[in-house]
Amino acid sequence: MELSAGASAGLFAISILAGVLGSLAGVGGGLIVIPVLTVIYGVDIHLAIGASIVSVIATSSGAAVAYVRDGLSNLRIGMVLELATTLGAVVGAVVAGSVPAAPLETILGVVLVGTAAAQVLRLTDSGAPGSREPNVWADRLRLTGSYTGVGGVRRDYVAQRLPVGMALMGFAGAISGLLGIGSGALKVLALDTAMRLPMKVSTATSNFMIGVTAAASAGIYLGRGDIDVRIAAPVALGILAGALAGARILPRLRDRVVRVAFIPVLAVIGGEMLIRGLGVNL
Amino acid sequence: MNGLPFQRLLARVLLVGVLVSAALIAAGFFGSLVVGWRGSLLGATPLDETITDFGNLGADLLVLRPLAIAQLGILVLIGTPVVRVMVTVVEFFQERDAIYTAITAAVLAILLTSLFVIR
Repeated sequence: MELSAGASAGLFAISILAGVLGSLAGVGGGLIVIPVLTVIYGVDIHLAIGASIVSVIATSSGAAVAYVRDGLSNLRIGMVLELATTLGAVVGAVVAGSVPAAPLETILGVVLVGTAAAQVLRLTDSGAPGSREPNVWADRLRLTGSYTGVGGVRRDYVAQRLPVGMALMGFAGAISGLLGIGSGALKVLALDTAMRLPMKVSTATSNFMIGVTAAASAGIYLGRGDIDVRIAAPVALGILAGALAGARILPRLRDRVVRVAFIPVLAVIGGEMLIRGLGVNL
Repeated sequence: MNGLPFQRLLARVLLVGVLVSAALIAAGFFGSLVVGWRGSLLGATPLDETITDFGNLGADLLVLRPLAIAQLGILVLIGTPVVRVMVTVVEFFQERDAIYTAITAAVLAILLTSLFVIR
């Protein structure tokens, strides 16, 4: 496809919006920009995914800078789990190459609706302090750490159920590779629900892992010719700029209820994708 | 292990990678608005080859094609997490931490395979 300068600039503008909306709703911009590219711009979904995966690396690496510098990301836990996410991502990216648009749209719809539901549940989560129970895997691989919790109190934590975490991370990686998204919601689910890590550490470690996971599938998309710079450049720049802006707006939205307003948008876009993917005629 | 100095180094790798790639992608994007993706900021003949090919990067960079500048930016971006993992391998190796040297080296091997082997 040949894009005019106007269409290119429009792509950039719409990606900024996707980045802002994504960061306010607590998800990456990819989940939003892929439907926008396919529905509004008529971009082939494989190229939309290729553009999205590039933006995922940009936003997660950008956000990880602060988390890593402050020592909130647990590097050991992240690296062990990256074994599973990168393998999953490779499988997902290879499979995506031979899956037609409709099934990809359907899966994206399911992920969007599921993410919206997960975000609603997270709004009511008080942020559990994490488990400290010793166990074989944590002991063998030293999957422990500490962080500064509420009121400046130093809290220790011990990762639980590594095998369950690895399995969930493999799945998260596969979804990331298949759809070109960060699948941060699935990663956080594995870290805090399955492995019982403190919420702050889960978020920071998940972010740290997303870039490496995305790089594993991006290489495959690039080799296949699915990264078209005419789309990927404005999308990646726009989402990065939008996410940075969103991160500045977010602290001002003190009331969590404000964030609820953005979550239904995810569900609506997800419904739209499901309708397209399943070929339902309304 | 992995004290704050090391974490600061990792943070710097990520920051430099994102900044350099964003600058290159932005230069390519804004250049494309002026001369088109296949044109050249130095006035060389426009390309007619496939636009998703990253193969001829060197020559196209010399004539400042927006396409090639943005492609280089995307390569730097994809390379950033790879460099981050490389730095981690070296750190664990220097700490003589055999298990974690092996784990991080395995992650690096998966990344390099995905970049250069699988199509």
